[in-house]
Amino acid sequence: MAGEAADAVARHKRLARGALVAWAVFIYFFLFAPIILLVLFSFNANQYGTLPITGWTLHWYHAAFNDFQIQDALKTTLSVALEVTIIATVVGTAAAFPLVRANLPFRSGIRAALTLPIMLPGLLIGVSLLTFFTGVLHLTLSNQTVVIGQAVYVTPFVILVVASRLEGFDRSLERAAADLGANSYQRLRHVVLPLIGPAIFAGALFAFTLSLDEFVITLFLIGGGNTLPIYIYTQVKFGITPEVNALATLLIAASLTITAAAFVVPGALRRVRRGRRISARPATGA
Amino acid sequence: MSINGPVTRRQALRAGALGMTGLYVAACGSSSTTQSGASSAASNGSGSASASNSPVTLNWETWNDHYLPAQVTAVKQATGIAARPSLESDDSDGYLKVKQTGGQYDIVSTDALWAPKYFKDGLTEPFDVESLAVSSQLYSVAKQVPFWKAGGGYLVYPNGWSSVNIYYNPKYVSPAPTSWHVLTEPKYAGKVVAENQPTDLMAMAGLATGAKEPYNMTTAEISKAQEFLKAAKPAFLKLVSQNSDSVRALADGSAWMALENLGTDFRVKAAGGPVVKEATPKEGVVGWIDGEQMVKASAHKNRFEQFLNSMEQANWVAQNFLVNGRPLFNEKAYKILVNQGHKERADLLWYNQPERALQLTLKGPSGNVQGVIDAFNQVFGA
Amino acid sequence: MALAPEATAGPVPAATPRRAPLSRRLAPYVGFSPAVVLFGGFFLAPLVLIVLYSFWEVINYNVVHHWTLDNYHYFFSTPTYVSTLWDTVWVAALTTALTLLAAFPLAYWLARYVRPAARRPLLVLIIVPFWTSYLLRVTSWTTILGEKGVLNRFLELIGVIHQPLSFLLYDRPAVILVLIYLYFPFAALTLYASLERFDWMQMRAAMDLGAPPRTAITRILLPQIRPGITVAVIFVFIPVLGEYLTPQLVGGTRGVMIGNLIVNFFQGAEYTRGAAISLLIAAMIVAMLVAFRKQLNMADTHGR
Repeated sequence: MAGEAADAVARHKRLARGALVAWAVFIYFFLFAPIILLVLFSFNANQYGTLPITGWTLHWYHAAFNDFQIQDALKTTLSVALEVTIIATVVGTAAAFPLVRANLPFRSGIRAALTLPIMLPGLLIGVSLLTFFTGVLHLTLSNQTVVIGQAVYVTPFVILVVASRLEGFDRSLERAAADLGANSYQRLRHVVLPLIGPAIFAGALFAFTLSLDEFVITLFLIGGGNTLPIYIYTQVKFGITPEVNALATLLIAASLTITAAAFVVPGALRRVRRGRRISARPATGA
Repeated sequence: MSINGPVTRRQALRAGALGMTGLYVAACGSSSTTQSGASSAASNGSGSASASNSPVTLNWETWNDHYLPAQVTAVKQATGIAARPSLESDDSDGYLKVKQTGGQYDIVSTDALWAPKYFKDGLTEPFDVESLAVSSQLYSVAKQVPFWKAGGGYLVYPNGWSSVNIYYNPKYVSPAPTSWHVLTEPKYAGKVVAENQPTDLMAMAGLATGAKEPYNMTTAEISKAQEFLKAAKPAFLKLVSQNSDSVRALADGSAWMALENLGTDFRVKAAGGPVVKEATPKEGVVGWIDGEQMVKASAHKNRFEQFLNSMEQANWVAQNFLVNGRPLFNEKAYKILVNQGHKERADLLWYNQPERALQLTLKGPSGNVQGVIDAFNQVFGA
Repeated sequence: MALAPEATAGPVPAATPRRAPLSRRLAPYVGFSPAVVLFGGFFLAPLVLIVLYSFWEVINYNVVHHWTLDNYHYFFSTPTYVSTLWDTVWVAALTTALTLLAAFPLAYWLARYVRPAARRPLLVLIIVPFWTSYLLRVTSWTTILGEKGVLNRFLELIGVIHQPLSFLLYDRPAVILVLIYLYFPFAALTLYASLERFDWMQMRAAMDLGAPPRTAITRILLPQIRPGITVAVIFVFIPVLGEYLTPQLVGGTRGVMIGNLIVNFFQGAEYTRGAAISLLIAAMIVAMLVAFRKQLNMADTHGR
């Protein structure tokens, strides 16, 4: 009897796992389907991205490599995104702690206030910051003004993600560490931060992603030059050419390569090192 | 969380940072080689040799069809002036940025009737267009646009123009449209695309309903235009944000008509689509003429003329026409195009009839934008 | 319970109770200081400006300091805005629900069944498509969903349909589908971050005690990841309320959302009207966040 029940449970479990895997595969396909099209069209001789594909060409890649303006835009986009990610992650993570742990009056109100930048249209933030920077602070617009504007918009995302992770944090771990003699800095560095690491990582990913495609705030706060989103969204009269598709394809290829390298290589290295260590160890009893 | 966790993550982040830096460096490297390696194919007749060739960067608030990247590089090599185009999406945000940033921008491109507004608000300075050597290449009508004359000079160095016409697929749309009221015909429901420009669409509706100045309508005129647009709403499949969207819609047959800029027929053909024809409604069409203005607070006004003399040369303008496919005001470029065998295309786009540009209902700042947009939102809201 | 070790480092304090020094009392709030600089310095002033704008007018493309309630009055007096906002709230709610429903199984699978080493690349893979331009991605969807698009051609090819399905594009369903696509990673990553630290042994224990899997999920798992679900809801619902580009690209004239109407004002440089309507919507969201704070309960589930 117990054996049958156990079998049923095991089968149930396998079905469940199978269903989850199938769903995951479908989702990844769903996520990448438009990207596959996008990549295909980067090779399309026809610049309007219509089907069927009339001819295959590398012309757009060639154009992208020779277009200093698009490269300039890419450089600006990446450097701004990097700065914004760092600022948002640091500011956001730091702010998540008091939001969750300090004895705040009207916590939900403060949380709502911190979420305000997400609720307002980017254009309003852009225009009002432009007025503030130029009219009140008399600053010149530059990439740094863009970084500030984007950081204002992006940081709430990091705060919320890290805060949600901190909320369920088991503080007895910290108490145990304190009992063992760790001071608050050590507790933070060796217990808390590593354990909320995935949330910080997720927050940083959000920040980077949001910054990469941010258009409206950037449009109003950038000095000379452009970012990639500005380049793309201002092509109203004539539309974008597949040069942009080519660039996007290159970016994706680069990101996938970095991802693969960053995550596959350390694991492989570790296995190699472990293998060497094991073979170097004198044979003892198992 | 394994003990190896943090180590792996740190390595991952390091690798990621390295990768990003690598990408960055690669982008830097390739762009600098491009800039230094590009050969100056242009002949730059810089007649006014008074300006020096010292290096300077001019911040140029403009649209991307006003220049070609190779052109900017060539100008830099010939004159030392590095133009840094900063793209604006619409006249109004270009205006706001120039207004707010004082002299950060040196040159700003704008449409027709915005130029007098820039000047009135003290943002731009007029100049003597005839004294520019390169202006002899322009059609004379472009140098005599009445509302571009102010302050004893000329406000805009003319670039190009276009009108918004009805492009239709003769296979499905028959007879050929002769009036804006074709939009209210039930048989074309859901078959028209237009760009999502509330002021322009309302202006077209104003033309259809007899408004005197479609870009400056009275409350009564706005109300009539609103009624018309409401009757025309079922015709629209969608309002697009880029011209290529309209081209795609016409090319794959989901739309039979498009309210679009000149040259759409060529683009649809290039997209592998059917033959579409152009129709000009009898009530008139809206359009734009644009060009470059000199920003008053700019620190480099003395290089403006030198820049234009180098930039606006006919050979580049001709290339620009071939890339962007709409008429420009440079007459010498037309002759180059004819010599290269593009007469038919240029003529079909009325390149050699610049006076048409001045007969358009020209785009400009509206006296009652709020009323116009309120009306538009009421039509196209849910 | 435990003594902080550094308290015993110095001389033994006097027996009389004193209030903790200011630095001690402010210590928990120290984390706010960078945020105070960033938001206090660069968001407060713009926010004040936005509020002021909503009470002013734009004349000739310049913001003029004429005080007026007209902007707010206009929103309520014109039926289009209220009905569009209502429709938008429904679309946002539906999108949020569907996105979370789609993201949860994936996050669950990643957190429970995938080995840690493989998880991070899979997570990054979820977000890599979103490092391309929004415009490019949504345009790809028009190519997929159109009458002559990939999906229709495929369905015709395998014989499921004989006429292309026209409802796939240029209406509300397309808007919702594409919005789900666009906001999926935010929901998935947020849910994952929350699920990741969940002790799966509790599920095993519950089932050992006789709970069917569904009960284990609803009674044990969901309550503990409620903060994560809350944040995922915030990350989808709020931005979707402000969406305008997707409705414009794939919604045709029927998929209009309130964001489109607001953006039309901005195109005409009517910042004051746009500011008023945007503030009304933000106020609505804040009211929802505060009203539902119990349901979105953020209490520490481990106890302090």
